[in-house]
Amino acid sequence: MNMNDFSATLLTCALGAYVAGIVGALLFQRAEKLANGVGFGLAAAGGVCGIFACASSLATGAATASQSFALFPSLIPYVRFGLRADALGCFFGMVVSLLGVALSIYSLGYVRGYYGHKNAGVLGAFFNLLLLATTLVFLADNAFFFLIAWELMALSAYCLVSFEHEHAETRNAGVLFFIMSHLGTGCLILGFLLLFQASGSYGFEGFHALGDKMPAARRNVVFLLFLIGFGVKAGMVPLHIWLPAAHPVAPSNVSALMSGVLIKTGIYGLARVCFDFLGTPPNWWGVTVLTLGTISAVLGVLYALMEHDLKRLLAYHSIENIGIILMGLGAALMFLHSGHPVLASLALIAGLYHTLNHAVFKALLFLGAGAVLHATHTRNMEDLGGLAKRMRWTTLCFLVGAVAISALPPLNGFVSEWLTYQSLLQGFGTTTSLIRLMFPLSGAMLALTGALAAACFVKAFGVTFLGQPRGDHARQAREVPFPMLLGQGILVAACVFLGLFPTVFLKLFDPLTRQLTGQQLSQQLTMADGLVLSGGPAQGGTVSTPGIALMLLCLLPVPLTLWALFARRAGTRIGPTWDCGQRGLTPQMQYTATGFSKPLRMIFKALFRPRREVQREYDFSPYFTTTLRFESHVEEVFQTRIYRPLRWLVLRASRRLRALQAGSLQAYLIYIFVTLLALLLFAL
Amino acid sequence: MDIGSHVITLMAALILVVQLLMTAQRQLPTSIRLFAIQSLLLAAIAAVVAYYHNASHVYIVAGLTLAGKVFFLPWLLNRLVQRIQIHQEIEPLFNAPTSMLICGGLTLLGYVVARPFTSLERLGNNTLPVALTLLLTGFFLMINCRKALTQVLALLTVENGVMLAAVAVASYGMPLVVELGIFFDVLVAVMVLGILVYRIRETFASMDTSKLNQLKG
Repeated sequence: MNMNDFSATLLTCALGAYVAGIVGALLFQRAEKLANGVGFGLAAAGGVCGIFACASSLATGAATASQSFALFPSLIPYVRFGLRADALGCFFGMVVSLLGVALSIYSLGYVRGYYGHKNAGVLGAFFNLLLLATTLVFLADNAFFFLIAWELMALSAYCLVSFEHEHAETRNAGVLFFIMSHLGTGCLILGFLLLFQASGSYGFEGFHALGDKMPAARRNVVFLLFLIGFGVKAGMVPLHIWLPAAHPVAPSNVSALMSGVLIKTGIYGLARVCFDFLGTPPNWWGVTVLTLGTISAVLGVLYALMEHDLKRLLAYHSIENIGIILMGLGAALMFLHSGHPVLASLALIAGLYHTLNHAVFKALLFLGAGAVLHATHTRNMEDLGGLAKRMRWTTLCFLVGAVAISALPPLNGFVSEWLTYQSLLQGFGTTTSLIRLMFPLSGAMLALTGALAAACFVKAFGVTFLGQPRGDHARQAREVPFPMLLGQGILVAACVFLGLFPTVFLKLFDPLTRQLTGQQLSQQLTMADGLVLSGGPAQGGTVSTPGIALMLLCLLPVPLTLWALFARRAGTRIGPTWDCGQRGLTPQMQYTATGFSKPLRMIFKALFRPRREVQREYDFSPYFTTTLRFESHVEEVFQTRIYRPLRWLVLRASRRLRALQAGSLQAYLIYIFVTLLALLLFAL
Repeated sequence: MDIGSHVITLMAALILVVQLLMTAQRQLPTSIRLFAIQSLLLAAIAAVVAYYHNASHVYIVAGLTLAGKVFFLPWLLNRLVQRIQIHQEIEPLFNAPTSMLICGGLTLLGYVVARPFTSLERLGNNTLPVALTLLLTGFFLMINCRKALTQVLALLTVENGVMLAAVAVASYGMPLVVELGIFFDVLVAVMVLGILVYRIRETFASMDTSKLNQLKG
């Protein structure tokens, strides 16, 4: 109880710091340096408090028995501003606080780029507001408060996306985000109303295991509503279209926060609803989530491969990773249905661990992209190159992030994807129906995704940082200021620790799985004093990331020894790299991003429908071209096949409906009156 | 049935009569006077409720109704009428007999709709139907009159209906906060509408709101 009070106090401190950050940043907006320092400094302080509050209540197990407490007395009847730091909420609260610290420190440097032409105070205030609202979303203890926080989050995110509103692209992306977000919120409101109908209260405690008491049809409707509502926010295919539009145009610290945390609110919501509220799921729920997750993962990475815009590429990777997380959640739902709570816990842990890991490495990558943008003012990879010599530390950080996201051992992305594989592979034995083929198929797709992601980051890293600069911006790039490097450094450290010592962190999942599936797995997953990670109870595999790291370190001297033994006597010549003896390599001779992804574009021709246009002008022979124009496009199937016809239909229906809006007051009054009469007669 | 219920029943009936008179009325100043009388009856009902049930906060409601709706708003509207200088010509959509017939039908509907709830009433047995009828006929009045000022009056009678329902049915008045909220809402609404009417008059040289569709793009 004592610990619980302690973490509740810390939590209130964190929220207070965010509020103070909003006020402070707005107060000092005339003095932009002060506004930057106050706004982001307080956000970092709030983040630190939040980490300690959530981690302590998870580690001491206080989160399982947590009571809700009112943040402040409510003035409006029926609305209670209550917080409940339970295990699930605490876990996500920890994610947002961790990113809050790293991103705020980074922002102290990044926002300097806006001095003089944009209002740093407003950016700081909205950043704090987004952190505050997201934390509240994770901790709200009733549906009303949750929806208020949810809307606050969507609106502050909208304002942040539209921060550079002088570009038309930004404004359009903001509006798209706004529309999609409200579509989702509408579904959520309907879902909560249905839950309220069944339970009679808006409290989350009253919703617990409510689904078992509901009629099956209604329960399914609730599930679908929440799947759409939270799926929009998570960026699940086919509801993802706002994501690649909104993430690139936002300021990079905000992109990192959105990709790291904002889209995870969708995952939080799905986990909360599916595992806490809706009881034992029917099989098709799990199958649906697993299928959508698999599709999201594969399509996300495929579209990422075709991108030349560094931040859009990362945005598409967010879709991919959301897909991987959803695969874990979907498998967990299927295991719950077939009565395998231990496996369900394993899959759930895999999904949620990947949530944490993705938050860390994707934020790191967005920060790297932000640093590149800060130094070169361009996001187009075809104009970059050669940054490794100019921005050493940023390059190193980005490389760590790229290795992590490509799920290469021994970093954190590998651990959570390995856990996902383990749960999927063991799932094959859980049923005898044909549906069990889903598991190996999804596993294969996950493997494909991992390979493609690695290819994609070879391209992103290679084209951006290696080789020679392709443009003047890249040639004049300088290393970014220290706070930006420190922010990235924190995340690099997190990537390494989460990768090397997963067994330490798995303990934090115990209260969570106890709450949601009634199991506790950390003992079973830990072997050899925490140095070896086991893939579950029965026939799971084992892996040891510290061992792999150690092995890498041991192998390092081998080439040196070989060189010392055999090659020392041979003469050494120092020349330019890769020019094969020809003098004068130019940037035009380099591999381009488009060229690198061409083979994959051809393999997946059916999906991409690539189109290219070549115009050449020549004087006397086609071999002596004077000008050459080359265009290459990839069709975005969801835009052209689903959303464009949909938009057309909506617009046409709206034009028809405009006849109703006659502009006459009497007509409007008659509409209301007739509705009133109809409702009265209907009630009779 | 105690004497309080009888008094309330009687006054509710009178309110209904006043409302029907308003639908047939063509003179603006008379309409305003009728509204004042209706509000006075409403205040009286509130006072009776407060007296018989020792609900002291309902006295406040009665006092506010008296001050606001019997004296202040009619004075405000009268001043507006003088400032715009129009006295009659309400120009309804339907003529008087037709609108009386329609209002009769609406009254019937009000009684039918309120029937299932009559057991809830603690006072008299016709306050809820009268309240509903006020709501419906007030609405009809709003549609029927094309002038902005009479629409304001009609809105006020709708509000009277809501107040009556609140006082009579919902356990001797809603929480005081809510009633105060509604009251000041109406006050502010009328003030704003008053200004708006004046502007409409100035811009279109008429108060006819059906001309507002010229604003549509």
